[in-house]
Amino acid sequence: MGMIGKRAAGCMLSLALATTAAVAQEPDTAVVLRISDADRYDPQRSTALAAAEILYMVGETLVTLDRDLKTLRPGLAERWEVSADGLTYTFHLRRDVSFCDAKPFTAKAVVGTMDRWLNPDFPGVSKWKAGKVESVKAIDDYTVEYKLKEPYSELLYQMTQFNFIIIDPDQATELKDDFGVAAFNGTGAFCFQSWTPRTQTVLTRHEGYRWGPSFMTNPGPAEVAKIVWKIVPEEATLAAALQTGEGDVSFAVPAWALSQLQATPSIQLLRPEAGFRTHYVGMKITRPDLGDKRVREALSLAIDQSAIADAIFFGEADAAKSYYSEAARDFNPKMKLDAFGYDPEKAKALLDEAGWVSKDGGVRMKDGKPLSLIFYGFTGDSDKQMAETIQGDLRKIGVDLKVELYDPTIVWGKLKTQDFDLYQMSYPYLSAGDAMNLYFLSSNMPTPNRMNWNDPKTDQLIDAGNRATSAEARFAAFAEAGAIIHDAVLWKPLVNEKLVVVAGPRVAPFKPHGISGAPLYNGLDLKLAK
Amino acid sequence: MTRQLLWRLLTSIPVLLGVLLVGFLMLQVIPTDPATIIAGPSGTAAEIEDIRRQLGLDAPIMMQFWFYLLRVMQGDLGRSIINNAPVASELVTALGPTIELMVASLIWAVPLGILLGTLAAMRRGQVFDRAVTALSVAGVSVPAFWVGLLLLQFAAFRWQLFPLQGRGGPLWTLNGLHHVALPALTLGLIFIGPVARMTRTAVVEVLGADFIRTARAKGASEFRVVTRHALRTALIPVVTLIGLQIGSLLGGAVIAETIFGWPGIGRLAVGSIVSSDFPMAQGCILVLACGFIVVNFVVDALYGLLDPRIRSKVR
Repeated sequence: MGMIGKRAAGCMLSLALATTAAVAQEPDTAVVLRISDADRYDPQRSTALAAAEILYMVGETLVTLDRDLKTLRPGLAERWEVSADGLTYTFHLRRDVSFCDAKPFTAKAVVGTMDRWLNPDFPGVSKWKAGKVESVKAIDDYTVEYKLKEPYSELLYQMTQFNFIIIDPDQATELKDDFGVAAFNGTGAFCFQSWTPRTQTVLTRHEGYRWGPSFMTNPGPAEVAKIVWKIVPEEATLAAALQTGEGDVSFAVPAWALSQLQATPSIQLLRPEAGFRTHYVGMKITRPDLGDKRVREALSLAIDQSAIADAIFFGEADAAKSYYSEAARDFNPKMKLDAFGYDPEKAKALLDEAGWVSKDGGVRMKDGKPLSLIFYGFTGDSDKQMAETIQGDLRKIGVDLKVELYDPTIVWGKLKTQDFDLYQMSYPYLSAGDAMNLYFLSSNMPTPNRMNWNDPKTDQLIDAGNRATSAEARFAAFAEAGAIIHDAVLWKPLVNEKLVVVAGPRVAPFKPHGISGAPLYNGLDLKLAK
Repeated sequence: MTRQLLWRLLTSIPVLLGVLLVGFLMLQVIPTDPATIIAGPSGTAAEIEDIRRQLGLDAPIMMQFWFYLLRVMQGDLGRSIINNAPVASELVTALGPTIELMVASLIWAVPLGILLGTLAAMRRGQVFDRAVTALSVAGVSVPAFWVGLLLLQFAAFRWQLFPLQGRGGPLWTLNGLHHVALPALTLGLIFIGPVARMTRTAVVEVLGADFIRTARAKGASEFRVVTRHALRTALIPVVTLIGLQIGSLLGGAVIAETIFGWPGIGRLAVGSIVSSDFPMAQGCILVLACGFIVVNFVVDALYGLLDPRIRSKVR
């Protein structure tokens, strides 16, 4: 018997020793950790942020944005001209660019990309970003003419977004539904090697790449040979994996873990110069109780967004006072924003004035009906906490909030309905005009204009801003539209989120980029210490 | 014996049909619509209607189930809503790591459980026996996710002896072994308790039998008496138990795979349910259910083989 015991113990010990080798990291391979995966890596068929993160590495746009997110810079187009009437854009393409399969990049790819996306039979997403396109033609191999039916002042800025990434149209035709799933041939600093959904995406260095944008420290080729984007669905595990060195970089670290990571000497917290993402509560004004602006203002004044910024985001977000950041292009500094502060006493007074009264400090009533509102939100940790905080704040002024939280895959369908009063979410944007085009046009009802804001004056001003051919005219129109929608109290802005990139000891310090919430951008500046 | 097995095989068919129906209905009652998910945040009502027609979601539920059955019988499990990949090939890819994890758990947990149970039986009533009993009770009562999280916190995070997440390669490579260690430990711990307890009871029972007394009288060493005579007889109920426990191992695998990011069927099932990827979730449920049915079938067959008395009764 003793013999059996000894043998077993020996086996166990050797197994333990064999398995306790340190976690080996491959040199020249950076491991990026994130929570969720994209539905596919086709820039014309995905709206997912998770898709943008990888597509910016494997593909490029004609025009790109500098780190301030305001200054346009050449991308695949080395220069461009816009006609005086704002209808014709002529792009002069770089001649030194090639795809990952070594095929040279020419005007044919640009025309093919736009033709595929804008084809009415193609189930492409976000087509509105392209403006009202008359035609996209190749003048010669390196000149493209982009003609619009009407001027669109946002076009060049929209063109920096990942939906405008130039694809290999031949590959898209060949792969059909598997394009961006099985393969993706792009001109980016990295090449798409493989995708195992919900597990990882592997990118390898585009060896011939030399055409990085001027504002990047490294023009190419990339410093790291391989990038593995791993999915770690558990927030706590993700944070732990950065500390143990199993992952090198992540920008999906929950706010609560940041202070702990900050205290770890080998961990670096890097922040982009600019980045626009605002969390807000939207109000559906066509619901019976929310037609009254006083009620909407009361709800807005009752919610303490500073408390949310401190307690839920641990200071990694700023309390928001407007629907989009003050730093965003075409923000109107003269807007009246009193309705978005925190003043529960004024909120109570407004509800009294609107006829909603509470006799015993309970839920307010009017005509025998309680002030009870339905709130839709997401199931994520911080979203849940925000919903609870808002529910608590509103309870203090006598409003009963029925919170219903849904999984991200379900919530979009629920938000298309007319069955809720309030909803909460966050959104990324480029500028005030971008935000207004998306949310406040009557043509975007019932979604994403879930507030049902149907105002001809707003429509007309946004349209004027889009058609403007000078920066001054554009600002004037968007500024006025901004003042109108803020005055109507359609949202309660909560916080402007700050993007934080957490990098481990192997990563050399670098400057993240705030574009579309994809701070590693094209990956050129990502460098591993030897 | 053959007739018994054939009968078992036939009775598996309604079970399988039931599983398919329950899996199908479960996904019907979830308050969401696959067409809305495919259409995405910017999909219009017309687009959603169109997708619903394409997917056959406008047909009555029983018709939908019938079409689903026909497709499953042809081996077509549909395509993932999320990445358009064929469900069947994704399932095949994920099945390997799950089997690997189960093998890695059984390979250490079964021998250790039998060893502990045997030693406890031989030291009946002594401190060691009580310790093994306590361990068995703990092993049965402690949930796998708790053990998994503790291992994650200490072995992987604090002491950094093992990786936190993922699969490092095939089992026979050092990296593969390194990665499988914690999930296999978690899963194996569920197993040790019942195996040790059953072995102990069976060995205690057998040690009192006449043929053991005869073996001792013949002058066989205690080691030989236990390993050659007692254990062989005592193992029959243990094998049955192991077979039955493999079913719960499949359930445990869902938890261990999720905690340790192991790319198997369990994680695929959880991931596809969370992301409302209906065809994939249905496929996972089908594979897990088939796993149960196959394991039960094999156990029945083995049971007959191991115990001649059962074989002769059936015949």
